[in-house]
Amino acid sequence: MQEILALTRRWTIIVLRERLNLLFSILQPAVWLVFFAGGLSGAVRIDDYIAFALPGVIAFTVVGNGVSAAMPLLFDKETGYLDKLLSMPIRRSSIILSRFLFQLGMNSVQVLVILLVALPLGVRPAAGPLGVLAILVTAGLLTLAVTAAALALACAVPSHGTFFAITGFATLPLLFMSNAFVPLSAMPGWMEPIARANPLTYAIEAMRLLTLDGWGFGVPVALGVLVVASGGLLWLGSWAFARQTAQRVT
Amino acid sequence: MKAIVEAERLSRAFGRRTAVDQLTFHVAPGEIFGLLGPNGAGKTTTIRMLATLLPATSGAARVCGFDVASRPAEVRRRIGYVQQAVSPMGFYLLTGREKAEIEASLYHVPRRRVRDRVAEVLDLVGLSDSADRLVQEYSGGMQKRLELACGLLHRPDLLILDEPTLGLDVQSRHHLWDHIRGLGVAVLLATNYLDEADRLCDRLTILDHGSEVVTGTPAALKADLGAASLDEVFLSYTGHALREEVA
Repeated sequence: MQEILALTRRWTIIVLRERLNLLFSILQPAVWLVFFAGGLSGAVRIDDYIAFALPGVIAFTVVGNGVSAAMPLLFDKETGYLDKLLSMPIRRSSIILSRFLFQLGMNSVQVLVILLVALPLGVRPAAGPLGVLAILVTAGLLTLAVTAAALALACAVPSHGTFFAITGFATLPLLFMSNAFVPLSAMPGWMEPIARANPLTYAIEAMRLLTLDGWGFGVPVALGVLVVASGGLLWLGSWAFARQTAQRVT
Repeated sequence: MKAIVEAERLSRAFGRRTAVDQLTFHVAPGEIFGLLGPNGAGKTTTIRMLATLLPATSGAARVCGFDVASRPAEVRRRIGYVQQAVSPMGFYLLTGREKAEIEASLYHVPRRRVRDRVAEVLDLVGLSDSADRLVQEYSGGMQKRLELACGLLHRPDLLILDEPTLGLDVQSRHHLWDHIRGLGVAVLLATNYLDEADRLCDRLTILDHGSEVVTGTPAALKADLGAASLDEVFLSYTGHALREEVA
């Protein structure tokens, strides 16, 4: 535990010192909510498009943060600091667990900021204060899934160039092929099955139900699918990380 | 006294290329032992095997009596590994003290002792006055000294130094040598600098193409060949041809 906290402290100090970086990453989702969702709201046939798009903006933020989640591992790998860490008497898992812990904290703060910005825009989660907690839990599960996938990719690529090329390409299709900004029922027929296979859809579905309709049977169903998907990606992430460190003695 | 490092016919191949071939050497407690050799001779590969980062293809190595392959956790607790290429990229925004505190926790220094231990090692390498400056403001020499300090946080039995003064100016190198000599801990030093080996090492092994060429004290190696400097000794054993082996 001491080692996980020590590694998390490293990320926390760095992010707090990069004030501009922190400011912009926290403001970014608000821009989407105000300008993108606000701008589109008159052009779509959804009553409260800002409330509808809110879970999409949250998902978009979490997916975008997946890139920064893997960045330290990517650079530690390239600078050789990963070797230094591996020569220390720490558990291998602490290196990635610290990253999950940090990302959960960062993303939770961002989700709360998004919900705060949505308040003056008239969005109040129908599921109440407990619903806010449930939205945080859902975003947390999605964080685990996205972080695990990003870490797996960071282990698999030869250098950070490939990593950014792949994530830069994949982020938008991943979002557009989900219900982030368009309801499944309004999608072209060929797109809907793709969106249904996308784990993002279930995270967004759960958060959308909590925001628009309140508690209902659909919430645990969507969360269940999300848990399974996150579990699978966590397994993939730990497998990739174990492989990354495998040529070393464990 | 029991040896700190016992490498017995240690070998490592990468595909068909043998990087380290049947290397045997011992390092005694408190001894500064040098690994010298041209680029690609197998110094870093040897060090990575002893630092539990790379399994040997054959042969064995023990650190403080623990086998590096079967008891890596015990070995890691007892070594301080100072890497060749120190990139402060992941630490620019931390102060020297913060970096040392984080690494102290990673070495499992008890929480209430972290502060004192960090102050102690930073003082040892003369960084007390700059401890609270950001690492990005440090010069190359200061960064190397910080690395050295971090390698000592858990009072290791063996300090592994891979090219500790690479790229430093003469003043910084002399500074660092003074610190290393005063430590009293066993040191395994890989270096390309023969003056460095001459000043620091109690004994050294010259490697070429992964194999031991000769081992001895710097004085004895020079006397054997009637050589004036370790440079002469080195070139007479390893030749003048340029090396293009990959590391």
